[in-house]
Amino acid sequence: MLKYTGKRILIGILSLFVLVTAAFFLTRLMPGSPFQSGNVSEDVLKSMEEEYGLDRPMTEQYRLYLGNLLKGDLGVSFKKPGVTVVEVIRRAWPMTAALGGLAILTAAVFGTLLGIWQASSGKKAVRGGIFLGTILGTGIPNFVIALLLMFFFGVKLKLLPIAGLAGPQNYILPVISLAVYPTAVIARLMQNTFREEMQKDYVVLAKAKGLKPGRTALTHILKNAWIPVLNYIGPAAAFLLTGSFVVESIFTIPGLGREFVNSIGNRDYTLIMGLTVFMGIVVIGINLLTDLMCAWLDPRVRRACR
Amino acid sequence: MNVLSVQDLSVQFHDRHAKGETVSGLSLEIAPGEIVGIVGESGSGKSTAMQAVLGLLPERAEVMSGKMLLNGDSIAPPPYRDGRPQKQEQKAYEKKMQQIRGSQIAMVFQDPLSYLNPTVKIGRQITEAVRVHNKNCSRAQAKVRAAELLDMAGLRRPKESLDKYPFEMSGGMRQRAAIAIALACEPKLLIADEPTTALDVTVQGQILKLLARIAEETATAILLVSHDLGVIASVCQRVLVMQNGKMVEEGTVEEIFYDPRQEYTRLLIERASGLCALTEKKISGEALLTLKNVTKSYHSGRRNLDQKKFEAVRDVSFELYKGETYGLVGESGCGKTTVAKMITGVHAPSGGAVLYHGEELVGMQRQIQMVFQDPYASLNPRMTIRETLEEPLLLNTSDSPEIRKEKVTEIMKMAGLPPEDAGKYPRAFSGGQRQRIGIARALMLRPELIVCDEPVSALDVSIQEQILELLEQIQRETKVSYLFISHDLNVVKRISQRLGVMYAGSIVESGATESVYEDPWHPYTKALLSAILTPDPRTARRRRKMAAGGEQEKEVQYDTGCPFASRCGYAMECCHADRPKTYCFGDRKVACFLYSEEYTGRRSNDYKMTSQI
Repeated sequence: MLKYTGKRILIGILSLFVLVTAAFFLTRLMPGSPFQSGNVSEDVLKSMEEEYGLDRPMTEQYRLYLGNLLKGDLGVSFKKPGVTVVEVIRRAWPMTAALGGLAILTAAVFGTLLGIWQASSGKKAVRGGIFLGTILGTGIPNFVIALLLMFFFGVKLKLLPIAGLAGPQNYILPVISLAVYPTAVIARLMQNTFREEMQKDYVVLAKAKGLKPGRTALTHILKNAWIPVLNYIGPAAAFLLTGSFVVESIFTIPGLGREFVNSIGNRDYTLIMGLTVFMGIVVIGINLLTDLMCAWLDPRVRRACR
Repeated sequence: MNVLSVQDLSVQFHDRHAKGETVSGLSLEIAPGEIVGIVGESGSGKSTAMQAVLGLLPERAEVMSGKMLLNGDSIAPPPYRDGRPQKQEQKAYEKKMQQIRGSQIAMVFQDPLSYLNPTVKIGRQITEAVRVHNKNCSRAQAKVRAAELLDMAGLRRPKESLDKYPFEMSGGMRQRAAIAIALACEPKLLIADEPTTALDVTVQGQILKLLARIAEETATAILLVSHDLGVIASVCQRVLVMQNGKMVEEGTVEEIFYDPRQEYTRLLIERASGLCALTEKKISGEALLTLKNVTKSYHSGRRNLDQKKFEAVRDVSFELYKGETYGLVGESGCGKTTVAKMITGVHAPSGGAVLYHGEELVGMQRQIQMVFQDPYASLNPRMTIRETLEEPLLLNTSDSPEIRKEKVTEIMKMAGLPPEDAGKYPRAFSGGQRQRIGIARALMLRPELIVCDEPVSALDVSIQEQILELLEQIQRETKVSYLFISHDLNVVKRISQRLGVMYAGSIVESGATESVYEDPWHPYTKALLSAILTPDPRTARRRRKMAAGGEQEKEVQYDTGCPFASRCGYAMECCHADRPKTYCFGDRKVACFLYSEEYTGRRSNDYKMTSQI
């Protein structure tokens, strides 16, 4: 198991290196310069590029960047003088992480519960209702949901705040709008796998042992049914934790997603690079975590990775 | 008093596809300590009836019964009103049954791998059964009890087995664990539904012996469901014969086997005994396929450092003549299928050579075709029979559509299928018909050799016989040769002229079928043959007393010594130290030191060797 983990970490670092390289050269290939605007003269542009080292050959810039990266230094933002990339991340990430983490937690809990409810309910109305809900949840884009939530709970009922992240109640609406889609997907997945597992022979044996249906579901079916769900939750969590531009913009939250999109518009090379590297670490880390959790849940996987 | 008495049990499925009663008017009684067998072909409703007693059937199955008494208490399910049971009654029934299941009536199922939860440890699955009906039993106590149960079920090192997952155990060990689960609360009645069908012959004998011992020692009544008359004959006191959901005949084993009153029962017994008959056929002396010291090894570690070589097939040699059937028998995991894969060219041997018509075989050959074990999984459900059969022609020939159509019709006739069914999909056919399709597919390219990998082990006895007859008929017509692989000794005896017995990757004994069966030489062959269950209660009972006990050790010594030495009752010192060579005596070859010169002394050429044990 330890060997497997080590191997996975090594592969993660390697893919991170590939990501950094690709991102570095791709940003440099974008037309235009970070300091270009209507009222900047050729000379000023040149001297500024010189100061930031943009006039040097690309390979040298790349070598310099890699060296700094190893020291944990992601550089200074080109557009916001004096602000380091690390500072930007330190400011924006906690908000994004809190939103994303809460959203994925909500989605995992409610998606699982809804899926089990749909799979095991004897009532047609319940099954149909949840089914319709999951269809809508996967079909409606999150900005529509966000705007509708804002309109009803914020504007009409005046129950919840609609902008910023001042207090705990500020989190409710953005978390819901982020969580709807993964909840619906998890519920549908869970419903399917739970159904499938309920047909398995070991459930018949559990029944023949005299176990109550609820207990069978908890100790036998859930573990097996959760393994495919976990494989979805991993990538979904990675997606949410790296920030959603749309939802952050609607609720005016200065999160990572917004920073990222803005940095591309500004051609803020160091910021683009820094955020890409950071998001890469998050995605790779979460995927590693998912695989380890799968191995923890399923002894057959654990056996195979020895 | 009877443990269970059922009167007039009927089961009806309310389904879109299947209407009609699967079980009708079944009555049975069983006393403490008694073993009652229920025999019938698949689809005769035996398992359905057993699950109906425990209330394990899905809701769309309507169970009706005149009376269902467990130790005098009624356990009959609520009657249906307007197509469904009343909610209150159903709830009360479920509640009552939860108390009874596991504690009063327990069940052992056919396939222990699918009936055990793959992600839960064996120990947990047993302690759970212990604690459901015994609320004030602590976890630690339950664990002790679970180890006791595993010990009782004949598992070696029960304490270590508690921490194992089902996939880490062999088939026999799993079935023992399943029996331990069933015995957890000392049930009055044990229903065993085909408990040995998925197991090897030697393990089968051990499990049946265990069941008989349990009935004797704990006065547990056992209902043993099986399609195998040999199983029934060897342990049961009374037998019920079922056909199409109805009970055909009931009586003591002696009555049923020696004096059957019903035509159907007679037919069943005849077919089962027919399988044990020998065939005689002449064969030409021309070798079609020759295996010379073929070895196949797999590496378990990927890097060279921790490389462990595992030899799935080790030094296998035999010859297959034109127009003959060569049987390859052995327990699961002995390398039979790997041999088949090397002959068909799926795998290349890592040592030795496979010669076909005297030339080394490279890749796949259209002259060598294969028939697979599972007639359900080996046919593409989205291709019609015509498409399935035409595919080999499309790939290998440039026949026009008319010729292809003609060929399909011809082959289908040969395989005993109506040619007008060519447009249907596999789901429209039964297991036996599907296997005919599999055979037809193998025949499409007019091969010279067909490798049959357990072609009948998924089928009922009566269907088995039909398929074997079909294979023989095809052989007469087309002079094709068969390599027939099976774990079922009766089937191999029925069809093959010569055979090889495999153990742990090597052929331990080979020779003419008749002489090997009449006078087995190798200790392993002897053990295998004595484990065969014959559908004859008297001989079966005599045999049972001799069957070897104990769970087979999985760790076979692959590196040094004879692989069978750890299980062999005749093992000498040299057996652990060296690997026996193959000693030839005319047609008979045997790999055992008992037949070596050091043991039997120097021999002249016309020395006639007989069994040494």
